[in-house]
Amino acid sequence: MHPSAAVWIRRIIASALGMLLTVAPFPAPAQQPPGDAQLRQELDAVKEQLRRVEQQMRQQEELIRRLTPGAPPVAAPPATPGAPGVAAPARPAPAPPMTVDVEELRRMILADIQPQLTAANKTFASQFNPAIGFIVDSVFSHSRENKSNFEFRSGEIGISASVDPFARAYAIINGTPDGVAVEEAAIVTTALPWGFTVKGGRFFAEFGRLSTFHDHDLPFVNRPLVLDQFIGGESQADGVEVNWLAPTPQYLALTLGAYNKIGAANDRVDNRIPRDISEFTFLGRMHTAFSLTDSLGIDLGLSDAYTPEVRSEALKARNVFGADFTVRYAPLSQAAYRGFVWGSEFLVNHESRPGITPTEESPNQIFRVRDAFGGYSYLEARLTRRYYPGVLFEYVQDIDRPASRTWALSPYFTIWASEFQRLRLQYTRLEASLPARTDDQFFLQWTIIMGSHAHSFRDR
Amino acid sequence: MRRLLLVLLAIVALLPADAGAAKKIQVVTTIPDLADMTRKVAGDLADVSSIATGVEDIHAVPMKPKFAVLLNRADVVILMGLEAEHAFLPALLDASRNPKIRRDAPGYIDASVYVPVLEVPTRLDRSLGDQHPMGNPHINLDPVRGKSMVRAIADGLARNFPEHASTFQKNAAAYTKELDAAIARWQQEAAPLKGKKLVSYHPDLIYFVERFGLEAFGTIEMRPGIDPTPSHVADLIERMRQAKVEIVVRERHYPAGLAETVAKATGAKLVELPAMVGGVPEADNYIAFIDYNIRTLVKAATGG
Repeated sequence: MHPSAAVWIRRIIASALGMLLTVAPFPAPAQQPPGDAQLRQELDAVKEQLRRVEQQMRQQEELIRRLTPGAPPVAAPPATPGAPGVAAPARPAPAPPMTVDVEELRRMILADIQPQLTAANKTFASQFNPAIGFIVDSVFSHSRENKSNFEFRSGEIGISASVDPFARAYAIINGTPDGVAVEEAAIVTTALPWGFTVKGGRFFAEFGRLSTFHDHDLPFVNRPLVLDQFIGGESQADGVEVNWLAPTPQYLALTLGAYNKIGAANDRVDNRIPRDISEFTFLGRMHTAFSLTDSLGIDLGLSDAYTPEVRSEALKARNVFGADFTVRYAPLSQAAYRGFVWGSEFLVNHESRPGITPTEESPNQIFRVRDAFGGYSYLEARLTRRYYPGVLFEYVQDIDRPASRTWALSPYFTIWASEFQRLRLQYTRLEASLPARTDDQFFLQWTIIMGSHAHSFRDR
Repeated sequence: MRRLLLVLLAIVALLPADAGAAKKIQVVTTIPDLADMTRKVAGDLADVSSIATGVEDIHAVPMKPKFAVLLNRADVVILMGLEAEHAFLPALLDASRNPKIRRDAPGYIDASVYVPVLEVPTRLDRSLGDQHPMGNPHINLDPVRGKSMVRAIADGLARNFPEHASTFQKNAAAYTKELDAAIARWQQEAAPLKGKKLVSYHPDLIYFVERFGLEAFGTIEMRPGIDPTPSHVADLIERMRQAKVEIVVRERHYPAGLAETVAKATGAKLVELPAMVGGVPEADNYIAFIDYNIRTLVKAATGG
């Protein structure tokens, strides 16, 4: 190249650079005239900047291409034709294949649109509706004594939701052939410190184990006789309960409660009329558990329900004591397919019961202290995810006449079509003394769950 | 009164002896994969325990009272999320009576928050089986999503313990680098798996399949969580024969018999895989777990 041409080219570049430098973000000593070395340095800086801009553009194009489904690969940009008489600048080497973290990209996009999506959801007031489930429990029964019956046992709505940061609540509303009733409607605290929870409203008091199960959740068709007679079926209670998980390495839960009464079918106490404090039923329960191996565990519980004065029993005291133990075997790797549960409960009812019927000669009702004992024990195996055979043995003394006893033996077989549908076949042989009687009973139970469901720790 | 005092004394005697000692962060994770990741992120700052040992079905982990005790003392709980732990975690959290780790409390760390989710149902209906409304939750089988889980753990711990945030982020970055190197290696090792059709017992391999280029052909379960009927098995076998499916995977917590029957009837190779860290003794950490699954599948696919 001729020297004069080189000088001209240098001047043109210098002029262009001067214009560029006025807008360039890097500092430039504007006071001094630029020398050749400095010009060259600045030219390099501009080139570098242009290269970065070009690279950014390519990255953006690549991003757009990747985010556009089915888009063809981006064609290389056409080369800028060189000015006549001036050699075209060498094309920069193609940028190495860009590695884009797709996961990161998706995350960024999600982060951008998530607030809008969430806000859109929250415009629907129904988003705050509670979770709702519905359970249908029906039984066909046949017995020598009571003939046959298609029994619609219950259609039960369960609803639950958080109340606020401090409590949750749930309700079970039960429709039966006898009408519709609120079986449970309770508030449970969620934010108390030191392992405490408080429950209030109507709920199943923590007495023993199976008295806290709803009928359709029982492992067999009917509630054990001893729970029906000593508790009054489900341990339904209107009251308040404080539960404490002890801060010990060993699991230990203690419960104290006070209620109008315990027992949905306990009609000896009228739930609707006010009463003296001494007529409340007070409950204490201790529950602990041990893991014998990874697969084998045992739960132990002691419960006591004490009523200082029972109005219908001439203000005499009543005490029901219960001990329960449950052995569970569930091989860890096959817990859904194998295992067994052996559950037992023993109860003692201690109270003064009316003795001799009043007569004209002795008009005062005479009460005698009666201790009645009862219990049940069942063993249920899990053969597959579907098939659960089991057997239940029961024994109970009559509360008024402990010499009158009832035994029952019930083999049963449960088939789970899925987690939400269950069929159960049960035979019960029942024998009673004073008066002596026997009965053979057959049951076919069909239970389904629709909608929301929860796995509870207590019903496990 | 004397009895009451004795009971109280017994409880005090059972109190942990180290209650006053310098306290590490108490972390409980639902599965060992998360425990391993958390140990990498938190280092010596945390004591980490896992509820599951790794051999369980994550949808059927037995609820034990000792887990309630563990969670009662936890500063944070780390879960896989997407309702994977629905069968045991909500009930255990209730039983633990620990407000710090209730759902949506700061101590409730969901490892799935940064993970792109597959199989999000477009229709929720129980006739379609045990659906997960938020999408397929078995994200731990994909190591790339594993990196996102690590990030969620680091962010979650930093949210709870900002004084250690830089340590968590530094450790997470180092572990992510380690995972990146392993992922590059796995992509090469898994090359023979590309395009292979696979039937699993449960739809829990979809993330793995997507990552390493296999094709999820179907499941032995007729629907997620629903045991197969004879007609479903017959139909599956027929379709597998026609499509020349080469691999049947039995996740180790599912029964062996049916998977063996299907494999035998179709001539496919039967492969037994763990679904979590700890599912087999060799898979004692997250990298070893993915290693095990890839090597076992490659061995089956190449006739080794």
